[in-house]
Amino acid sequence: MIRIWSWGALIIGMIYFILPLVGMTEFSLSMRRGEYSFDAYAVVLSDSQFQATFSYSVIMALFTIVFGVLLVVPTAYWVRLRMPELRPYVEFITLLPLVIPAIVVVFGYIRLYNTSSWLPMTGTALGTNILLMFGYATLSLPYMYRAVDTGLRAVDVGTLTEAAQSLGASWVTILARIILPNVLAAVLSGAFLTFAIVMGEFTMAALLDRPAFGPYMQLLGANRAYEPSALAVIAFAITWACMGLIQLVTRFTKHTRAQT
Amino acid sequence: MAFLEISHLDKSFGANRVVKDFNLSVEQGEFVSLLGPSGCGKTTVLRMVAGFETPSSGNIAIDGRDVVNLRPNQRNIGMVFQAYALFPNLTVAQNVAFGLKVAGRAKAETAARVTEMLALIGLPDLADRYPFQLSGGQQQRVALARALAVQPHLLLLDEPLSALDAKIRASLRTEIREIQQRLGITTVFVTHDQEEALSMSDRIVVMNGGMADQIGTPFEIYNRPRTRFVAGFVGTLSRFEAVVKDPAKGAVSLGKQTITLDQQIDAAAGARVTLALRPEAAHLGRFNGCDVILPGKIAEVHFMGSVIRIKADVDGQLMSLDTFNRAETPPPRIGTEVEISLAARDFIVLSA
Ligand SMILES: Nc1ncnc2c1ncn2[C@@H]1O[C@H](COP(=O)(O)OP(=O)(O)OP(=O)(O)O)[C@@H](O)[C@H]1O
Ligand SMILES: [Mg+2]
Repeated sequence: MIRIWSWGALIIGMIYFILPLVGMTEFSLSMRRGEYSFDAYAVVLSDSQFQATFSYSVIMALFTIVFGVLLVVPTAYWVRLRMPELRPYVEFITLLPLVIPAIVVVFGYIRLYNTSSWLPMTGTALGTNILLMFGYATLSLPYMYRAVDTGLRAVDVGTLTEAAQSLGASWVTILARIILPNVLAAVLSGAFLTFAIVMGEFTMAALLDRPAFGPYMQLLGANRAYEPSALAVIAFAITWACMGLIQLVTRFTKHTRAQT
Repeated sequence: MAFLEISHLDKSFGANRVVKDFNLSVEQGEFVSLLGPSGCGKTTVLRMVAGFETPSSGNIAIDGRDVVNLRPNQRNIGMVFQAYALFPNLTVAQNVAFGLKVAGRAKAETAARVTEMLALIGLPDLADRYPFQLSGGQQQRVALARALAVQPHLLLLDEPLSALDAKIRASLRTEIREIQQRLGITTVFVTHDQEEALSMSDRIVVMNGGMADQIGTPFEIYNRPRTRFVAGFVGTLSRFEAVVKDPAKGAVSLGKQTITLDQQIDAAAGARVTLALRPEAAHLGRFNGCDVILPGKIAEVHFMGSVIRIKADVDGQLMSLDTFNRAETPPPRIGTEVEISLAARDFIVLSA
């Protein structure tokens, strides 16, 4: 009896998630009347706006990942090594972006860094890009920090550090050659999540007026019929590819370690 | 001045004074063990030498140079941990090469040194394995090779054998000692296993409550323990309460007998003293060269293979005695009345 119910619940859940997806995909394929075609995709992909915003967001995502890794790995490492009593507080801080809406953060940025402030970062495109990257890093902080911290839990950070120190290694060497490689799988899974977040982010990019992929999706959605569905499917595919890569990387690193 | 000179070392964690006025001189090439029960501060002393803890007060000098203010990565000390601490992301060869790489040695030199070290530890074929593909004993050998590869001034080992099973522990014990002697490297070895300390060391420091109770060769520590603690901690002892009769002549009364020890006793006549005796100093039956014969009754018999450990009731006090196993004479039965012979000079008078 219970089995039937749980199967039922599972099927209803799947329908709930999959049906809209199927509908959307079906719609995105029906631009040409009476037959399925990839016309909508062709239009989207050949749109120069699409190419520009997409590559802008990819580059932003890469910078955000690098910045996030440089910020989070040493912090999480140091907290584990030297200030374990601060761990709950640091964890709380990293969770804040989940409860503070992005719009609040970005208004804070604009207030603090507008052209008449002490540090007018919004005055130049580069400054605004940097600001946006900080914003993205904040948004991805909860995922990045948790991933790295979980990765660090699996290694004996204290003893490995001491072993490396007694062999003459400096902090930078220890981080780069011992700590980072040992949490690489965790870092990569954090990185893919960051990538997915940055590719889909709308609020910050729109309010800072940067030509990112999120605002482009919104713009297209407001003005076209079939293309937005195609775009949504593409965005979905990116997110899912990221998730798949997380799985793959986790398996891949274990695999190479087990194989050699 | 000795190679490693530790003087008046003190360490407190908050109000907890863990190491108290610890003094030790280790000569170049010497193998010294810190032996003591759990929590007596062995690891803390070692970590202060390595630079992972800062002494509350006191000095540590290596080769005439005060190292207290040097960071761990500036001290050129090899360290081997109980938990192996190999870098999981590096192969055996890369682990061994780590220190050399950090020091910026040339590639060819590093490779040669790695080969040499792997040969030294007897694992020349495992260069490309990862740590998780090695047994505990192999991992610890690699850890030793890694520590020795950079030719440190000093080798520190913190209970390196504790996580291994008995057989490997025994063989690795000999191996570590051999390598240490071959390289002539000054070594401090921490252990709570007296057998390890006795069999490996040039000298042993017996620690108790953060202090060095006694420092001496294994022979001295075992045969002439100075304190009650050392006597109790190292080896097995039978203890007897005796009353001093004549301190100058060393005469005491033990049960109904009067025994003359070959030493003066640092106590007044009529005072109680504790005498201790190693199990191998007592013999069943009459025995050549023994001047004391005590009547006893067999209370326990433990057959341990080559040795049979017997406990006999002597005047209400239990005495351990060891005899070698002989195929033609089975061990005595419990309850048998026996004579036990021993030499008065084998008694150890415990002072504190
Ligand atoms: N970082 C620390 N903070 C507070 N107390 C500590 C710290 N490190 C050690 N201690 C305390 O110092 C005492 C001695 O510890 P230490 O590790 O030196 O003992 P040990 O002789 O090595 O024992 P074991 O044989 O169990 O390893 C213990 O009571 C321990 O609780
Ligand atoms: Mg210890």
